[in-house]
Amino acid sequence: MTSVHQLVPTISPRDAVGNHTLALQRVLRGLGFESEIFSMFRHPDLMTKTHYVDQLPPDADAVIYQLSIGSPVADRWARHPGKKIANYHNITPISLVGKWDGLLAAEVQLGRDQMARYANICDHAICDSDFNKAELDALGYPSTETVPVLFDISNAKADKGTLTRLLRNRRGTQVLFVGRIAPNKAHHDLVAAVRTLRDVHGDEAHLHIVGTDGPPGYRRVVDTIVSHAGMRDHVTFHGSITQEELVAHYQAADVFCCLSDHEGFCVPVIEAMHHGLPVVAYDCAAVGETVSGGGLLLREKNSLLVAAALHRVSTDVQLAGRLQDAGRRRAADFNRTVTEIRFRDSLSELVDSQ
Amino acid sequence: MNDSQSDATYFKSVVSEIEAEAQRRSASGQYPRALLRSLDEEFRRWIPDASLENGVEDTIRGVEAAAYVDPVVPVDSRSPFGRYIKWAVRRLTYFYHRHIAQQITALGIHITRPLRLLDASVKNVDRRLSALEDRFDVGATARAELIAGISTFPISSDFKEVLASHLANASGRVLLGDQVDPDLLQFLRASGVDTYGVTSSSERSDLVDVRQETLIEHLEHLEDKSLGGFVLCGLTGRASLNEQLRALRLLLLRSKPDARVAVIVVHTETWSARLGPVAADLLDGRPLHPETWTHLLLREHALEVTAVESSDSESTLITAKLP
Repeated sequence: MTSVHQLVPTISPRDAVGNHTLALQRVLRGLGFESEIFSMFRHPDLMTKTHYVDQLPPDADAVIYQLSIGSPVADRWARHPGKKIANYHNITPISLVGKWDGLLAAEVQLGRDQMARYANICDHAICDSDFNKAELDALGYPSTETVPVLFDISNAKADKGTLTRLLRNRRGTQVLFVGRIAPNKAHHDLVAAVRTLRDVHGDEAHLHIVGTDGPPGYRRVVDTIVSHAGMRDHVTFHGSITQEELVAHYQAADVFCCLSDHEGFCVPVIEAMHHGLPVVAYDCAAVGETVSGGGLLLREKNSLLVAAALHRVSTDVQLAGRLQDAGRRRAADFNRTVTEIRFRDSLSELVDSQ
Repeated sequence: MNDSQSDATYFKSVVSEIEAEAQRRSASGQYPRALLRSLDEEFRRWIPDASLENGVEDTIRGVEAAAYVDPVVPVDSRSPFGRYIKWAVRRLTYFYHRHIAQQITALGIHITRPLRLLDASVKNVDRRLSALEDRFDVGATARAELIAGISTFPISSDFKEVLASHLANASGRVLLGDQVDPDLLQFLRASGVDTYGVTSSSERSDLVDVRQETLIEHLEHLEDKSLGGFVLCGLTGRASLNEQLRALRLLLLRSKPDARVAVIVVHTETWSARLGPVAADLLDGRPLHPETWTHLLLREHALEVTAVESSDSESTLITAKLP
C-alpha cells in the first residue's frame, strides 16, 4: 500500500492548520493511501489519532510537511528519502511579531530560513493562495500550485442565547472581526477605525472581537489603547467561542472588518461572506485575492477612510445587499468538496508520478 | 458582463467614492482634526516599541517555564490495559526519568540565568540612553509638532530648465526627494529624465512612482552605486545638521560615478521670515548656506560645481557632477 504521511510541528483541533491536516488525512485515506499524522507537539485530544515525530516510517513513499512556522520537524522532513511535498500556509514576517513575542520571532525567523533552504529539495509545494505561491516561486521552488486550505464553513445553528443577547444590546453599527489577537491582525487599527466611526459619523458603533489571545504583550497594548481611546464600553473581546456562538456573531453583526497587515489566506473572511455579512477589508498580502469581488477592498487603512467605508456599508442598503450576494457567491468558490477534489487530483498525480 | 464582474466594478467605484469623500471632507475641515490628531498620537504612543521591554521579559519567562522538565510521563492510552502497562512502566522507571529530568532542568536554569543578567544589563543601558536623550533632546515633541505643521517651500520654476539640462545625461534613475514638486517631477520626466520621487509627507499623492517613506529610510535600503543622480530638496529646509549631512553621505554612496547631483536650498532669511520667530527658534534644523553645500560637494571631489540663484533671490540651486 502506498504511504503518504503528514508532518506538522504542532497539531491542535481548534487551529486552522490542525483542522486542515486532519481533513487532508481523510482525503489521502480516501485515495487509498496509508496516511498518518506525525507531530512534535500534540494536543491531548489528538494523542490517539496522531503519532510522535520519531515514529515516521523511513520508507514512506511521500511525506507532506505543513509549513507555517519554524521547527526541527522540518529537518526531519528534509532528510526523508521519499517524495517531499510542502503545504505552505505562510509564515508571518518577523517584523510583525518581533516586538511582541521573542520566542515566536525566533520561530518565524527559523521558518523563513528553513523555507529558503529547502527550495531545492522540495518536489512539489501546495500553497493556500497565489500570494503564498509567489513567495515560494521567488525562492526558487521548482514546482508550486495554489489549492485553498481545507475547512468546513460552519452551517451550525446560531446559539439562540448568544444571538438574543447580541441583538438585544445592539445600538449603532455592529462591527465584527474574528482572528487571534496578534499584531499582524492589527486589532489596534480596528479600535481606531471604530472610535473614528463613532466620533466622526455620530454612529454608536460597537466592535466585537472574537479570537484567542496571541502574544500577551500585544494583548496588553490593545487593552491600553481601548482604555485610552475611551472605548471600554464599545469594544468586547469574546475570546474563543463555540461554532454555534460564532454563527450567532456572524448573524448579529452588520459588517465584518479585516485590517490585517498580513494574512496568508484568512478563513474568517470567507465564513463572514458565507453567512451574508458584508466585508470591508484592507487589501494586503493574501486578503485581496481571498475577498476578490466579494467585498469592499481598501487600498489604505487610515482610520478616516475605514470609518467612512463602515459608515457607507451600514447606511447604504443597496450596497450592503450587493455585498451580501457577492460575498455568498465568493464563499461558494471555497466549497469543501471542490477543494477536496483539487487536492485529490494533485496528490494522486504526484504520488503516481514517482 | 456577469454578476461577479458587475459587482466587482461597482465595489471598486464605491471605494473610489469613499476615498474621494474622505479626502474631500478632510480637506474641507469637516473632520475634527484636533481629535483625530490626538487619537493618532494616542495609538502610536502605545503601539510598537513601548512593549519591547516587556517582550524580552515575557520571552525569558517563557524560557524559564519551558526549562522545567516534568519527569511524570503521561499514561493516556486507548485501552485500560495499555494505561495500566504505561503506569507500571512509569513507576518502575521513575527513578531514572527523575534523574534525567533534574539534570535537564538544572541545565535550563543555568541557561536562563545569563539571560536574566543580559536583560538587566540591556534595561540599564536603555535607562541611561533615555537619560542622555532627555538631556540632549529636550524639545523633541515641540519640534516634531512644528515640523508636522510646516508646509514645504515651493521650488522655483527657474530651476526646471537648468535641472533638466543638468540631468539629461544621467546614467541611471534620478531620485527627487524628500520634497516632491509634482510640476518639477512631471517636467523632468517629460524632458526624458528617468526620475522617481521619495517623500515623507503623509499627504496622499496620485503621482506615479513616488515612494512614501523618509529619504534616509529609502536610502538605507538602496544598493550602492545604483542612482544616476539626485535632486536633494525639502529636508534641506528643516532637518537637523546631522540629518542633512547623513542624507548627503548616503546619496553620495548610492550614486554611480559620474552621477549628476543637485541641491536646492532656501535662503536662511527667507526661511526665517516664512516660518516666523517661534518655529525658527525651536526647530532643530535650519538651511545650510549655499556656500556650505558647495564646500561639502567640493570636499567629495565633485566636479563642475555651480550655484544658480532664483530670480526672486529666495533659493539657490547647486549642481555638480560626481567623479
